[in-house]
Amino acid sequence: MDKILAKKDFPQWLKKLRAYRLFAPRLIEEVWNYEVVDDPDHYVLPDVQTVVPVKKVVFPARECFFEFEETDGTTLTLTERRPDAPATVVFGVRPCEGKALTLTDSVFGGTFDDPYYGERRKATAIVGLACNTPPSSDCFCLSVGGAPHSTEGLDILLTDLGETYYAQALTETGKKLINEGGALFSEPKAEDRKTVERLRPESERRLTRRLENIKNVPAKLKGMFDAPLWDEESLSCLRCGICTYLCPTCHCFDMNDEVESTVPLRGKKVRTWDTCQFPDFTMHSSGHNPRPDKAARLRQRINHKFQYFVEIWKDYQCTGCGRCIALCPVGIDIIKVVEKVRDYGS
Amino acid sequence: MVKIEDLRAEAQRLLKGGTVKYIIGYERPAGSWKANPVFLKNPEETDRLVWDPTCYHNLVRFLIDEKRRKAKSKEPDPRPVGVVVKGCDSRAVVVLLQEKFISRLDVYLIGVSCEASGVIDERKLERKLAGKKVRGVAFGPAGSFTVTTDDGTVEVPAAEVLADRCRDCIANVPVVSDHLLGDKTKRTVAKPFQAAEKVEAMAPDARWSFWEEQLGKCIRCYACRSACPMCYCDECVADSICYAVTPDTTAEEKAQKIKWVERSPVDSENFFYHFVRAIHLAGRCIDCGECERACPVGIPLRLLNKKLEKDAKELFGYDVGLDADQPALISCFRDDDPGDFIR
Repeated sequence: MDKILAKKDFPQWLKKLRAYRLFAPRLIEEVWNYEVVDDPDHYVLPDVQTVVPVKKVVFPARECFFEFEETDGTTLTLTERRPDAPATVVFGVRPCEGKALTLTDSVFGGTFDDPYYGERRKATAIVGLACNTPPSSDCFCLSVGGAPHSTEGLDILLTDLGETYYAQALTETGKKLINEGGALFSEPKAEDRKTVERLRPESERRLTRRLENIKNVPAKLKGMFDAPLWDEESLSCLRCGICTYLCPTCHCFDMNDEVESTVPLRGKKVRTWDTCQFPDFTMHSSGHNPRPDKAARLRQRINHKFQYFVEIWKDYQCTGCGRCIALCPVGIDIIKVVEKVRDYGS
Repeated sequence: MVKIEDLRAEAQRLLKGGTVKYIIGYERPAGSWKANPVFLKNPEETDRLVWDPTCYHNLVRFLIDEKRRKAKSKEPDPRPVGVVVKGCDSRAVVVLLQEKFISRLDVYLIGVSCEASGVIDERKLERKLAGKKVRGVAFGPAGSFTVTTDDGTVEVPAAEVLADRCRDCIANVPVVSDHLLGDKTKRTVAKPFQAAEKVEAMAPDARWSFWEEQLGKCIRCYACRSACPMCYCDECVADSICYAVTPDTTAEEKAQKIKWVERSPVDSENFFYHFVRAIHLAGRCIDCGECERACPVGIPLRLLNKKLEKDAKELFGYDVGLDADQPALISCFRDDDPGDFIR
């Protein structure tokens, strides 16, 4: 199903979807993020890349699994907390993030089913916005199996045609959302479809960054565990969590008991984001750390994305959004690191 | 103006003569208009060094890594490390010397003067250019910046794109160095604490809401801590299990370790983390502004530190990081210290 929506009617559509919790990119003090749309009347969909990826909606930075409480001095009561997962629609999601969601779906819905992620994911519809121009100068989706007009992981893909959006429903959920817009949507003309066909290759040509010929990288990484390259490339790493916390595909977490009271015992079991880039991620209680330095941690980030994930899920765990490049305080560039791996020893 | 040939020649001299074990400086990678830290060992590589208004990183922070590496090494190389320092960075060296975290012989400082300007704020520049692609930024005449874009070259007045920290800077020329490049004329700043004064002027309720909103954005990536040259503790109160455990740490010691702050990015824990960090920087923060620049979600962290720097100045007449021979503020006591700050 494909339709046309006039841009001026976009707020009207949002209003018709009032029953859902709506997220869309919003600028707060120079930082774009997916925020709840509180003023649909005046909302204009921007052509941007947010700082925090859409994963925060389905995999929040913190969630409670259960609460524990000591009652009568001896009994411990556990109360399960299932996720608060209201029906949600996220607008303006870039195709690389849609693809990223499908990768995270494999992890959390694969061998083990993570009901917390699953419930939120099921309740969340993704309305993508095709990248006619790359939203970041570090985008390289084409090199890792994506494309600026890719539909993977999306329920609807919107393409900006100037005054209108060309809306392509990709799932039943997507069709339903368009149907809820009713008369706001009209049938596309043949020339609209032609414009989209033209924009697709144009947008691909606009991408300035590439990571080419990386087919050999997964196999090559296997033999590079002790390569001096990791030391050299990680020298300037600050060991912060930016590259992973803000990666749309990184999904590591930690679980902790947050004790609010010791007598009587009361607290919560919570899950929070965690990252392989923190020294304590692999710290053993003995004091031994199998990934003792920055080199080992950079190697892990690259290995996970370009070797381990490929072995398990047959795809790179990188969708080329470029956030880790653009936001790294010292300019560590995953494209350049992987290129060095590719060319290593040749 | 700093001549890049002089900087490269000095670096080459140091590496050729084996005076330093390596040099930490700036380079501009191919295809990028922004500088990155670079670590050079080979005298043939010194042509990679650059000095431009995107050299905002405080390279002194890498002396923490160096110290850790040295501590682990069985046969540590005793030679100093060469570091390119701006005025603010040199103040960080002063604090590390005062605190005896490093000794003067551990570093060879190549000072670069920021002269009449400083470093740029990338976000300000991007906004100013409204989508135009930057090709390069250079120091221009009279404190301006020369910005090259696809459409040509423009002179941008410093006031429009200068990093906020540079507007408040009290050390445009390095305060300590072994080899100083560029103009040594010191600039004076009429109001070095204007950033803090804006927040001080808020009513307590408004100030609380302000910080609630700002710190509410925190995702706890710890980039502020990681970029900070003063955050050198092996054990940080913010980490749940990152305390300095060694094979000799007993089970009891581990069990008794108090978890001061939870990992959850919620208001209470975010406040705790940021305020503890700020307090630990009292009389130590030299306002290189790297915490704020590194923050991906735009928390104005300098405001907290600036307030403490202002307090150090107003209550104790203490200027942070200007004099390595003076004892550190929080490790000394003077008879004329005001008594009314503890009640």
